[in-house]
This record gives sequence, C-alpha cells and structure tokens, in this order.
Amino acid sequence: MNLHSQASDAARSAEPASISDAVLVEAARRGDMRAFERLYRLHSGKVLGLCLRMTRQREIAEDCVQQTFVRAWRNLAAFEGRSAFGTWLHRIAVNEVLTNARNRGTRTEGSPLPARDDDEDAFDNIGDGTAAADSAEVMDMEKALASLPTGSRHVVVLQAVYGYSHEEVAEMLGIAVGTCKAQLHRGRKLLRERLGLPELES
Amino acid sequence: MNQSRDPLDTLLAELPRQLEPSRDLWPEIKAQIAADTQQARTPLHAQRWFQLAAAVVLVVASSVITFFVLQHSMQQQVADARREMSQQMQPVLPTMPVRFDGHEGLGKSYEEARAQLDAEYAKRIQNLPPIVRAKVERDIADVRRSAREISATLAQYPSDPLLQDLLVSTYQREIQLLSEVNSMAASTAAGTDL
Repeated sequence: MNLHSQASDAARSAEPASISDAVLVEAARRGDMRAFERLYRLHSGKVLGLCLRMTRQREIAEDCVQQTFVRAWRNLAAFEGRSAFGTWLHRIAVNEVLTNARNRGTRTEGSPLPARDDDEDAFDNIGDGTAAADSAEVMDMEKALASLPTGSRHVVVLQAVYGYSHEEVAEMLGIAVGTCKAQLHRGRKLLRERLGLPELES
Repeated sequence: MNQSRDPLDTLLAELPRQLEPSRDLWPEIKAQIAADTQQARTPLHAQRWFQLAAAVVLVVASSVITFFVLQHSMQQQVADARREMSQQMQPVLPTMPVRFDGHEGLGKSYEEARAQLDAEYAKRIQNLPPIVRAKVERDIADVRRSAREISATLAQYPSDPLLQDLLVSTYQREIQLLSEVNSMAASTAAGTDL
C-alpha cells in the first residue's frame, strides 16, 4: 500500500460514516465544497475501479474520474435522488469513458490487449493492499478482464463486477438490451477460456 | 447448477470494487470547480457571514413585503387566520436541533424567527398552486429531515466542523425556503386580490 492510500484510509476512517449521501448532496448543492469533497472521498475509489477496468489505462481512468466529479458538481441541481448518488455518478463516469474513447479514436472493437506498458502500469497496482485483492487469482482475473474486446469488457465490468442489470447497462452504454446480453455471454465465455475454467451448462 | 457456485462468478466477486488513484485527484477537481465558480453569477463559495446576512435580509424583506401587500385587502383575514393558525400550528412545529458545540448563540433568536415564519408559511402555503405547493412541501420536508440526520450524526461526532456547518446552513436553508414561500404567496395574493 502506498503512502497516499494510507493517508486516504486514515482520513476516511476519521470521517463520520453515518451521514447520508442525500444530506451531503443537499449541502453541496448549496455550494458547500467540503460536503462535495466528502462525497468524492466516499465514492472516488469505486468510480476509479469502474473507469480503470473500462479504459485499461490508469492515466485515462484518472482523467475520467476527475471529469466525472467536475461534471457531477455542475449538474448537482439535476440530481433528483431517484437513484442512488453512486449510481448517478457511475452513469456520468461511463459517459466520460465513452466520450474519452471517442475523442481519442480508440474505441475499436477487437483489440485483444492494450499496449503492454499501459496494461502493466494499470494493473500492477490494482489491489487495495489487502491479501484478497492482491492475490494471484485476482490479478489473473484483472488481466483476463483487460484482455476482453472493448464491448464485452464494458458489459462484463458493469454487469458482472458492478452489479447493474442488463437494462441499466444497455442504457449506460447506449446499446440494445439484446446486444448487452450477447456481449455478456461472449465476455464470460472468453474469460472462462483465458482462466482455464470449465464451461458450465446453463 | 446454482449460478452463485459458478467459479467464474466467484472470481468476479473477489475483485475489489474500489481502487486507489495514483495521486489525490481532489485538488485538480477543486481547481476546475473553482474556475467554473468564477464564471457563475453567484459565487458558490459564499462565506458564513454572507449566508447569515442573506438569511436576515430575507426575513426582513419578507416581513415588510407581506405587511404592505396584505394590509389593504387581507388585514382582517390575516388577523383571524393568524389567531387560528398560531393556536393550531405551534404545537406541531417540528423541533429543529439548536444546540451544539460552538453555536448555542443561534438558539433563541433562530427559534423566534423560525416560529414566526412557520406560522406565516402555514397560511401562505394554502395560496400557492398545487404543483408549487407540493414541491415546496417536499423541499421543506427534505430540509427538516436533513437537519435531523445531521443532528443525530453530530451527536456522535460533536467536533466535526463540516457537520456543524452543515447544520447551520440547513437552518438557513429552512428559513430561506419559508421566507421565499411567504413572499411568493404574498405576490400571488396581491396579483389576484388587489
């Protein structure tokens, strides 16, 4: 665990955990930057996890995280609380990732792996310092996930890792629900092959 | 076979959902937000003094407007309604927490101003269109729920400066909302009755 993560953990542990997102959002709407910073501290790790697994490149993922929170601040008035604040953030983050990919012209289906340097940089430090997160199995899974084609990877990350439904994933990615299901099936099949797991009968 | 026993799902479930950035991203986010804020009409970094002053101005302005607009056409009605509503509303005025570290001084004057505004609000809200009224009532309920939650959390972390400020700003927000409703309803009444 690096120094920054230790400091963040210490800061996080000192923060009251029981104050709800709704209260912090309401205060942030009124311009309270410290409330918004607390929202950032509470949610940035999960947003980064999502962005990094979608982009496979740490620098781009961190740019997306920054833009996600800047955009969230600008649009706080539009957040109606119908979904959880974290879910709303994830929608913004996914949009940032897709926009970033379009701008960079890198949204190409079928590239099996990112450039080796990016891959190594992104996933060597992906663990959170716990034994479970740093285990060989987790690292193998991260690398297998990173090796998936873009479309399948996005769907697997959002659905199988972050637990969103087909409908939610389809809406986030701007694809049909049927496409989402097909990409998930394809992604899971490839993951099994690359991890040497047996194919299961449905 | 049960889906939860699929080894692939087991491996996926072991992935950490949260990851640490290589550096603290907050300073850059804050800088971008600050740049946005400079372009905004109203600075979002308004200080507490400004907020307190704004709340006082709102209370005074609301009272003056209400007095002059309504005295010609609704004086008798208001007097009757005030007597009636003060009897009905005072017992059910939701209790807002007013005592916490370093801010005890707000208590008495705040409660007096709030009780007065709330009594006016209870009458004025009747004059608003149903859609506006529903939104206002939801906003007031949200603010009061926030105050209760912050107060409860503050009881566990009494020295947390953010929670203290949140509670103060929540009080101010409630007063601001009540004042806005009173002014809005007075304008509506003036437009229809005068």
